[in-house]
Amino acid sequence: MRYAAIVIGGGPAGMAAACAVKESEKVLIIEREARLGGILKQCVHDGFGVIRFGEKLSGPEYADRFIDEVYSRKNIDVRTLTFVTDIEKRNGYFVVTTTSGKGIVSYEGENLILANGCRERTARQVNIHGTRPAGLMTAGTAQNLVNLMGIMPAKRCVILGSGDIGLIMARRLTLEGAEVVGVYEAKATPSGLQRNLQQCLYDFGIPVSLKKTVTLVHGRDRVEGVTVSDVDDDMRPISGTEEYIPCDALIVSVGLIPENELAENLGVPIDPRTKGPVVDQYMMTAVDGVYSVGNALHVHDLVDYVSEVAETAGKDVGRRKSRASIEVTQKGFAYLVPQRIDAANVEKETTFYFRASHDTERAKLTVTINGKTAVTKKYSMLKPPEAVRVKLALPVKAGDDVKFVLEDDDDGNV
Amino acid sequence: MVDIKKIKRKLVKAGYPLIEASLKNGSVVLSGELEDYEGILECGTIAVCKESRGVVNDIRLKGYAPEKMRICPVEDKAYDGESPDVLVIGGGIVGAAIARELTKYALTVTVLEKEYDIATGQSARNDGMIHAGIDLKPSSIKVKYNARGNAMYPRISKELDVPIEMCGQCVLYTKRWQKLLFPFIKARGAKNNIPVEKLGPEEVKKYVPEPGIKYGGFMCPSAGILSPYQMTVAFMENAVNNGAVLHTDTAVTGIDNDGEKITAVRTNRGTFYPKAVVNAAGIYSDVIAEWAGDRHFTIHPRRGVEAVLDKKAKKATSAVIGKFVIKSSTGKGHTKGGGVIVTVDGNILLGPSAKETPERENEATVPEEFEEMIAKQFKLAPKLKRSDIITYFAGTRAATYEEEFVVEKSPVVRNFVQAAGIQSPGVTAAPAIAEDVGKWVAEIVFGSDVKYNTNFDPIRKRIPKPSEMLPEERKKLIAEDPDYGVVICRCEEVTKGEIKEALRRPASVPAVDAVKRRVRAGMGRCQGGFCSPLVMKIISEECGIPLDKVRKKGAGSEIAFRYTKGGDR
Amino acid sequence: MTETFEMICIVCPRGCRLKAERTADGIAVTGNKCPRGAKFAEEEIVAPKRSFTGTVRSVFPEMPVVPVRTAGEVPKDKVKEVALLTRDVLLTRAYGVGEVAVDNVCGTGVDLIVTADMRKVIGS
Repeated sequence: MRYAAIVIGGGPAGMAAACAVKESEKVLIIEREARLGGILKQCVHDGFGVIRFGEKLSGPEYADRFIDEVYSRKNIDVRTLTFVTDIEKRNGYFVVTTTSGKGIVSYEGENLILANGCRERTARQVNIHGTRPAGLMTAGTAQNLVNLMGIMPAKRCVILGSGDIGLIMARRLTLEGAEVVGVYEAKATPSGLQRNLQQCLYDFGIPVSLKKTVTLVHGRDRVEGVTVSDVDDDMRPISGTEEYIPCDALIVSVGLIPENELAENLGVPIDPRTKGPVVDQYMMTAVDGVYSVGNALHVHDLVDYVSEVAETAGKDVGRRKSRASIEVTQKGFAYLVPQRIDAANVEKETTFYFRASHDTERAKLTVTINGKTAVTKKYSMLKPPEAVRVKLALPVKAGDDVKFVLEDDDDGNV
Repeated sequence: MVDIKKIKRKLVKAGYPLIEASLKNGSVVLSGELEDYEGILECGTIAVCKESRGVVNDIRLKGYAPEKMRICPVEDKAYDGESPDVLVIGGGIVGAAIARELTKYALTVTVLEKEYDIATGQSARNDGMIHAGIDLKPSSIKVKYNARGNAMYPRISKELDVPIEMCGQCVLYTKRWQKLLFPFIKARGAKNNIPVEKLGPEEVKKYVPEPGIKYGGFMCPSAGILSPYQMTVAFMENAVNNGAVLHTDTAVTGIDNDGEKITAVRTNRGTFYPKAVVNAAGIYSDVIAEWAGDRHFTIHPRRGVEAVLDKKAKKATSAVIGKFVIKSSTGKGHTKGGGVIVTVDGNILLGPSAKETPERENEATVPEEFEEMIAKQFKLAPKLKRSDIITYFAGTRAATYEEEFVVEKSPVVRNFVQAAGIQSPGVTAAPAIAEDVGKWVAEIVFGSDVKYNTNFDPIRKRIPKPSEMLPEERKKLIAEDPDYGVVICRCEEVTKGEIKEALRRPASVPAVDAVKRRVRAGMGRCQGGFCSPLVMKIISEECGIPLDKVRKKGAGSEIAFRYTKGGDR
Repeated sequence: MTETFEMICIVCPRGCRLKAERTADGIAVTGNKCPRGAKFAEEEIVAPKRSFTGTVRSVFPEMPVVPVRTAGEVPKDKVKEVALLTRDVLLTRAYGVGEVAVDNVCGTGVDLIVTADMRKVIGS
């Protein structure tokens, strides 16, 4: 049997994509862990689903709705504790080889939806030196230990990085009885959402220090302390500003990296800005039949949009007969997704996600088609940590030259 | 005869009039106090002379209290009174190779390792090269053992089922004039029986298609690579299977000597009464020698940092690196140029650097040393990217002032054998050193009537590695044990079956880092972010350790403090 | 007399920066992009509320801790009290999503509910 689509990854993106595929088509979800749900399983905090369901759900609750949907659908097969070891592109279909306790099994699919998420950058990957003792871990690992395994990795900890998971863990560890000495951020502005700063740090009186980073970890068996330093505008530590902070854990939340090793092996071109594949508005990569969704595509702020984007891909499976993709030229963004438009299948509105490259009070988005302005939009208070989702009516035709420009808007009115 | 007066004159001339030099136990002993460490090193180097057994540099560094040997906090009498024929101090690659060699004789062998696991010091913190030996001084002890060890590894690799790759070492000249040195290099090679191939700038491209430096170089085809910690584990597993006993977390704290021989070895776990003692204590080998009663050398630690790059880097730069080891030509002093190495596991390894330090056990990386090292290595392979670096680590090598190994049957203490001061090329030399040490120990214990272990089995099988198997083979393994189908470490594709097997092996240790060294779980690009909780769970289940007591490494490295909800479970 | 408050709205992920002025006539809010922001600011000044999220223990080794949250918001100063209480909760059967683990938690009138389907993890 050949599946219409094989979805790799049973987290929120993979489940939403699978559920969006027409019920007449067979879909397979391959999940390496024991259960569906992905990283949501350990996100016991709330705030999920506000946009999609109008409710503040916890991660497991949000996942559960999709899990129920997946298992209720007759066209979806699920393989858990199953790991993809190889993908081969044949003539018009893919062969996905997996390993599990049942053996080595290959599956055939006409399309592939890559939904394998992202990984966390580690302390060493942001130039932290010193020792490598117990107590040095990423926020996601700490979250797993506390929320899934029920063990406490810290009594008195320092958090490096003001990304959302770091902030969430600051609150979580505090409520479990640990002392969070402080959150340090090398950038001049916090990376996490404003509301997480409020409800995770300010509510508990946890200080945030900006333009400061951890440079050294001390302690051989267990973290005994860290050295923090001020950093200059290029985020390089300034010597003479070192301060030693005794603590028993350093939890780092310093960025997420989309996991695209499988995509790269398939020859999928990667956008260096998102570190995910280049896709069209249906999330199909430049390799026919290969879609990329969720945090493997780009790191989303909100799971609600992960689901939405993934559904776009799922709905597209087996739909388009012909394609005419054009590259979008972009300027002034941290990134813009999609990076291509299939001009042969443009709908009334196309959804784009972008991040500004810097904090801007007022900004202007201009889209030109063949040099002529098609859309302008004005924004106030753009911040790189907060992705913008925008629906644009772009009557693009094959061969058009489409340019997206985001610039500071000096002449005022919003 | 050692001319102490001459050494004294040299010290005065170099600006160290207050440093005392004397002759003791055939070696030059320096004493006094200096304000800078460089000065102490310089005095040590000045005191080197062919006629002495070595330099004992006891010059104190003003205001510096030497670190105390790191000892596991456990103190009991667990092993008190044990009296093996031979006690090997140190569970690095040298100690492990010696332990295996000793089990070929009809001897009871016990290995003491002060850390929680074997292969945690230099043996885990080096680049794993099987050296050709071209950079070694002809007729040195190092070059002798290196050549023998190099020749032994293909057989050992088969016996112990540890992969090696004799990929050759490509040395690039960093300066145009260095090509003038080739006749000397060639001659040196000829003297040491090391084949060398001259490479012009164009010929280099045969091995390194896009070299970072374009002055040509030379090729030593007899060099290779291996995983030094895997090899150490293999030696020890085989030793234990052949009857050796390994005590980890057991540190020597003193040695009793009756004037001609060692009578007892004291540790934090009790006192041992061996017939013979082997010093393979690495960075602390001079301290052990002192306690044993025959110290004639000094370890001055030399720290090196190495960076590990993503396996993807090899792919992206396969045209640059090839399957070859690139080394920049020998630089000044004892800082070898380091290099760019594709490891047996497919990562690229950069380094090491070389920095003299009074601290024997400080394995923290230092930003300046790291930056200098990678700047240098990136020049060799300019296509590598900083973002490919997934981790870095430092280690200290056990250098002596003579820059020589101390491999000898002590002429002073009757039942004491030393394999000390082993640094590069220690991995290569280890099996050859072990052979000689084995003979000497047998002489000590048996006299002329040497007895062999007729049951010695040289064969050890590696932990099955599904990710490297053919599909049919893999299927068969999973059918026998489904855990070999369940992937735990996604980056390195390590299965639950491998982790469980690593915990069941002889000489195994229930700690996350010990598992990592044995099966690579957590060695990939996410550095254990995803798999470490799963590995903890497997350790807990397999070894019956409560989850909140599972350790990353030794005592005091429990990953959790307690369960959540304020306490017990 | 006018009192001024600045705060970040936590109702939705947008995180509006709110300014509120309290006078004898009432509370005036600016910076909010929707009416929920104004309501949040008023509450935040008069009686701030938060939801609690965390875990409680279960007797099942497959799921030693189970995620829970308050079904609605509780007074902010009760959050730590709720957190302390969760230490003593032990689930002895497999709960479904939304089932009440503790009713009227700490006298807030709000229930503490389970947010994962335990039956999917440990079987029923």
